[in-house]
Amino acid sequence: MSIELRAVTKRFGDFTALHEVSLTVPTGELVALLGPSGSGKTTLLRIIAGLETPEEGEVLFEGQAATDRSTSDRRVGFVFQHYALFRQMTVFDNVAFGLRVKPRRERLSEPAIAAKVHELLSLVQLDRLGGRYPSQLSGGQRQRVALARALAVQPKILLLDEPFGALDARVRQELRRWLRRLHDEIGITSVFVTHDQDEALEVADQVVVMHEGRVEQIGTPQEVYEHPATPFVYHFLGNVNLFHGRVEGGKVHLGEFTMDLPPGMDPETVPAVAYARPHLLEIDLQSTGRPQFRAKIQHLNAAGPLVKVELVSATGAVVQAEISQERYQQLHLQKGMEVFVSVKDMKVFTSAHSMLGGGI
Amino acid sequence: MSAPAASALTESRVVRWVLIGLALAYLGLFLIVPLVAVFAKALEKGLGVYWAAISDPMALAAIRLTLVTAAIAVPLNLVFGLAAAWAIAKFDFPGKQVLETLIDLPFSVSPVISGMIFVLLFGAQGLLGPWAAAHGLKIIFAVPGIVLATIFVTFPFVARELIPLMRAQGTEEEEAALTLGASGWQMFRRVTLPNVKWGLLYGVILCNARAMGEFGAVSVVSGHIRGLTNTMPLHVEILYNEYQFAAAFAVASLLCLLALVTLVAKSLVERKVREGSHEH
Amino acid sequence: MKARRILPGFGLAMGSTLLYLSLIVLIPLSTVLVKTTSLTGHQFWTIVTSPRALASYRLSLGAALAAAVVNVVFGGLVAWVLVRYRFPGRRLLDGLVDLPFALPTAVAGIALTTLYAGNGWIGRYAARIGVPVAYTPLGIVVVLAFIGLPFVVRTVQPVLQDLDVAMEEAAASLGATRWHTIRRVILPELTPALVTGFALAFARGLGEYGSVIFIAGNMPMRTEITPLLIMIKLEQFDYAGATAIALVFLTLSFTLLLGVNLLQHRARGVHGVGEPSGVVLA
Repeated sequence: MSIELRAVTKRFGDFTALHEVSLTVPTGELVALLGPSGSGKTTLLRIIAGLETPEEGEVLFEGQAATDRSTSDRRVGFVFQHYALFRQMTVFDNVAFGLRVKPRRERLSEPAIAAKVHELLSLVQLDRLGGRYPSQLSGGQRQRVALARALAVQPKILLLDEPFGALDARVRQELRRWLRRLHDEIGITSVFVTHDQDEALEVADQVVVMHEGRVEQIGTPQEVYEHPATPFVYHFLGNVNLFHGRVEGGKVHLGEFTMDLPPGMDPETVPAVAYARPHLLEIDLQSTGRPQFRAKIQHLNAAGPLVKVELVSATGAVVQAEISQERYQQLHLQKGMEVFVSVKDMKVFTSAHSMLGGGI
Repeated sequence: MSAPAASALTESRVVRWVLIGLALAYLGLFLIVPLVAVFAKALEKGLGVYWAAISDPMALAAIRLTLVTAAIAVPLNLVFGLAAAWAIAKFDFPGKQVLETLIDLPFSVSPVISGMIFVLLFGAQGLLGPWAAAHGLKIIFAVPGIVLATIFVTFPFVARELIPLMRAQGTEEEEAALTLGASGWQMFRRVTLPNVKWGLLYGVILCNARAMGEFGAVSVVSGHIRGLTNTMPLHVEILYNEYQFAAAFAVASLLCLLALVTLVAKSLVERKVREGSHEH
Repeated sequence: MKARRILPGFGLAMGSTLLYLSLIVLIPLSTVLVKTTSLTGHQFWTIVTSPRALASYRLSLGAALAAAVVNVVFGGLVAWVLVRYRFPGRRLLDGLVDLPFALPTAVAGIALTTLYAGNGWIGRYAARIGVPVAYTPLGIVVVLAFIGLPFVVRTVQPVLQDLDVAMEEAAASLGATRWHTIRRVILPELTPALVTGFALAFARGLGEYGSVIFIAGNMPMRTEITPLLIMIKLEQFDYAGATAIALVFLTLSFTLLLGVNLLQHRARGVHGVGEPSGVVLA
């Protein structure tokens, strides 16, 4: 079942959580709503579920208006951030709940319900824990029970609110991959909310980047990472270096070096901000023909697959670069060395949305 | 666990035992001695007199009235306590603070005044007195008045227990139930009620203890008609004032037993509530 | 788009609550105001400032105050001992602390009177040293202390239990003696709870009737508490008089409680509401 949101606006008193947000989730896709706290992503998810009502706008399921339907009528599976398992019921009873509250004519017999519950518990690999209570389970186990419970009523849509936020790093990694595999197996239209960009980029088919109640960009993980549409998206996804300057005479002037304008940009003379990812900076010991600037190595972190180099330019700006271990050893880099830094690729923004301040 | 000697983290052994001694003496004097006194005085004249006192028809009538009053007041306050807690704990609305204060109101009113207001309302010269008389309703100096006064006095108990409990439990489980397709009543019955069952029981226990033991308010509305409008506490008063001490203490001992049962039940439920809150 | 409440049942719950509240609490309470209006201002004033009435206010307020103070001191002590120390019978005593709460006031009244009367188990010793208890204001204070016992203990206990040991350890590591630590670190943390307990005990003691009338002797001008005065006027069918005094008494109680509430707020504001002040744990 596809989901469509048209110009949804939600206010809490004086605060506007969502400004005319429009969005389409095609059937069977796994979509991530990604953004910092306060971006409105959880509110949006709850509006789809019917747990909040928008002031303006519409929610459509498979083209049919769903805005006025109550939560119970919407038949969505919702997995809460803190699981919201029924603490007084066993794992089995939790998963069976949705099946037991169906109206009499739709309800299955108890043996049929039991069979279904066991099937689901096997699916989430918790088959032997049916008799336990939520308080006796680990965080990861509780989350899987919450998922099984939501899937029990065979919803057409699955909504997950920061499903792995409360878990520790390794469990999070495992469950992330597990969720992706599950989705591939079942094929249910799913939307999940996260503030963790790695999670969104790794798991989702489409990423919706949100900020202060608005959609900044919608695209595949590759699209939003490599072709960010706004400075916010650039900042939010991955580390970034910031260079202030201006566009003039068909080039971008950034402090001590000048680059050609990236293709397709308006050569009008305006202030500009350029963004460059750390792995797109190159370090050389001598001046090459390319546009570069001088910098001094302030800090080196050689632990890990990439070497992280922190440099200070002549103007005092701090710049982060990432180079391969090979290159690092090739150059014999040391703290305090003076080197030349060039930029392989960068994104230049001249709109009013440019952000001030250092990169993440 | 060995008790350490004086350090900066704990008092010296001497000080500790002095304090314990003082506390024990205080509690002994104020709690244990009176408790023992009731039973001692009740049995002073022997078991025969004791039995006669509590099986006396007037005493039995008083016991019956006490039980009936509690049987009406407690369930009513339970239902409306649940309703009030549901509205206050799970929703936001203007004037919520005012409503909470109003619910607490009976606690801050003296029992005599609590009874007085019903006399003012339904007594012969009361605001609704003539109306009641015209309909042949005897409220004051009759059982209905006693029940009303008792409901007033025990009104807050259940709500006060449930409101913080329901508030702390939040709305997520109920929301989850709704997403799974449950109707309002299904959600309430299967999710909300089981979650608050111990708090509810606790409130009921306190409500019941007060309902059965209320004296001041009931004293004002009852008219002290022996055999008809005397509850157990009032009966105790009458016997005492007639210098029938053994009989008075005999009936009082029953109320004491009720209090002890209440305390035990209370402790048991308290433990359950504490266990429940650790599951978060 | 109308704002729709997600959880069901609000209308029903609110409606029935308001109905019940009005019928059982608000309408009956309003009769106090209504009835008082049947008096002229002068009549009202005469009644509520009669010597007998004034004596009763003094007694009720004074005895409740004294009892509340006793309860703060000893209740605090009991709470400390119950939380911090282990000794045989501790659990049993902890449960018994609620006895005054659970016991009908009339039973408490006759039990304490019998104990403290001239020939009672305790009263005879008191008589020997020339301090009669029963039928004196002192007796009233004793009874009110019994009634209010659980209030201070039960409000202080949870605070003591949640007290962060790290604070005491920090004080000790900085060189404080035990007494110093108690006085400067622990006591301030307990102050809001002590004040709350005091307020609750005081409020309870003010309105107390059932237990007091047995021990007091009920002599007008000497040992007559205000609730009894109201009761007597009702028995004499002097409804207007009873209501007038009740109104004054209610106003007095509410104002005092408001004052104590403000004190509570002030105390809580300084020390923070239930948060361990300044100690950041890993």
